[in-house]
Amino acid sequence: MKDYDVIVIGAGVGGLCAGALLAHQGRRVLVVEQSNRVGGCCSTYDHDGYKIDIGASIIEFAEVINWAFQRMGTSIYEEVDLVPVDPTFTAKLHDGSEISFPLDLKETEHVIAEVAPEDLDGWKRYAETIEGFLTAALDGFFTTPASTFGDIINLFRNTPDLLKYGSLFASSYEDVIRRYFTNEKIIEAFSFHSFYAGLPPALLPGHFGMLPYSEHHGVHYSKGGMISIPKGFQKCGERVGMEVRFECTVDKVLVENGRASGVQLADGTRITSDIVVSNINARKLYMDMVDPQYISPIAQRGIRSYRYSMATPMLYLCLNSEPALKDHHTLMTRPMDQINDYWFNKYEKGIFPAEQFGILSWTTKSDPGLAPKGHHIIAVTLAPGAYRLAGTTWDAAKENLKAEIIKYLEAKYLPGLRDQIVHAIFSTPVDFERELLSPEGAIYALRQDLFNSLMFRPAARSRHVKGLYLAGASTHPGGGVPTVSSSGIIAADLISKYEQ
Amino acid sequence: MKTLRVLTYITAGLLLVYALLSESRKRYVKNLVSQVPDLIPRYFV
Repeated sequence: MKDYDVIVIGAGVGGLCAGALLAHQGRRVLVVEQSNRVGGCCSTYDHDGYKIDIGASIIEFAEVINWAFQRMGTSIYEEVDLVPVDPTFTAKLHDGSEISFPLDLKETEHVIAEVAPEDLDGWKRYAETIEGFLTAALDGFFTTPASTFGDIINLFRNTPDLLKYGSLFASSYEDVIRRYFTNEKIIEAFSFHSFYAGLPPALLPGHFGMLPYSEHHGVHYSKGGMISIPKGFQKCGERVGMEVRFECTVDKVLVENGRASGVQLADGTRITSDIVVSNINARKLYMDMVDPQYISPIAQRGIRSYRYSMATPMLYLCLNSEPALKDHHTLMTRPMDQINDYWFNKYEKGIFPAEQFGILSWTTKSDPGLAPKGHHIIAVTLAPGAYRLAGTTWDAAKENLKAEIIKYLEAKYLPGLRDQIVHAIFSTPVDFERELLSPEGAIYALRQDLFNSLMFRPAARSRHVKGLYLAGASTHPGGGVPTVSSSGIIAADLISKYEQ
Repeated sequence: MKTLRVLTYITAGLLLVYALLSESRKRYVKNLVSQVPDLIPRYFV
């Protein structure tokens, strides 16, 4: 008899979601995690009394995450203390002006009418189109496997309304935004959203044009830090016997006669199971952890062809007083052309300037308990940063860059910042790789353009090793807290179907 | 010979359409086209 029915590699959101759902199917589940906490990129750590979010700083589509909790007889609202974030975001434009987008759609119409009356009609058409797309997509897209042509045909057969939105898939994010809006301020306000899916507006598929609108379905922060969401899954799984072991690095997936039979840890320990669920980067899984004899040459070529998603340097600021911000979620934006230009002429050339754009996530605005009384935390998501810097390394450039970026943020966005700082921690793509074992610091595992999506993304049910399943950002539907939760649902459903 | 001519017309047509695209669309298409050789291998992953 095997040690466990299922071993899940990685206690990220996708892995914990799959593990908890499988434990609820009555299976003996072990989750092994290389670090000392759950959540992966959606996690929180304590630094001198400040609870700092590592990556994700808000969630959209709480309902999608809730589907997983509902399958376990509970709800996200019972397991996680969610705080609504309203306004959904405030854009600080490059010219110094600001636009806040309230949660309420009618109020947002008023904002658009005030800032760009010429775009009010465009906003209404955009809202109607995206609402229709979301209604169709949420039904099937998020929880249906998309690994084969057959899956895609089924997906569209089950949700034929998706076909109406085919043009979204054939356009770029930029095309979609420019199709509905002409005012440069509005376009700029929606520009940074493309990086929520890991690519610039010019390269991101158009269906991600839903992002600025979808925030009006609700943006939330989880009290206690973003780690509360994976902890919610952990609690649900542990209630029915799921075990989580920390500081256990998996070296290899064990395979016997073409079937997964467990894992081998870095210290040589072998743990056996009938099923293995991988929640780590699929490129790393197949290149480093599965014996190549089990992977066909054509698939090996496919695996090598994937490019890791972008990395995002983070600056965590612990402050002794309230920052000069109004809202939890503030975007430091640039005109769309400049954002594209940044990608092609700086990011892709390994240049990381101190003049930054990105997200100011004032987490203590939503949960003051994250910091000592009267103190505050801002997690600054900076512009995408190349894994390899031109002419230097992240380790060598880190301290100087940190000082320069803080100086820039103070001058442009946060007056008085340097006098407020108690701790400033700069996390580079290399730090991310070291701490999360995420290759090249990739935050969405693999790139998310059209030809890295659906059946061209690694399959949730391995084609190479029986009993091996994938969850997390590497597989459909891709990176993001709600989507990796969906991947956990898909993995659990596939296991339920194929592994009696 | 006829097939070659048809292929030439199709290629010329596609190149013309590509030339008329905006810079942004060109980048989008170029990125996808550059990955076409990887599609079949990726399908098998």
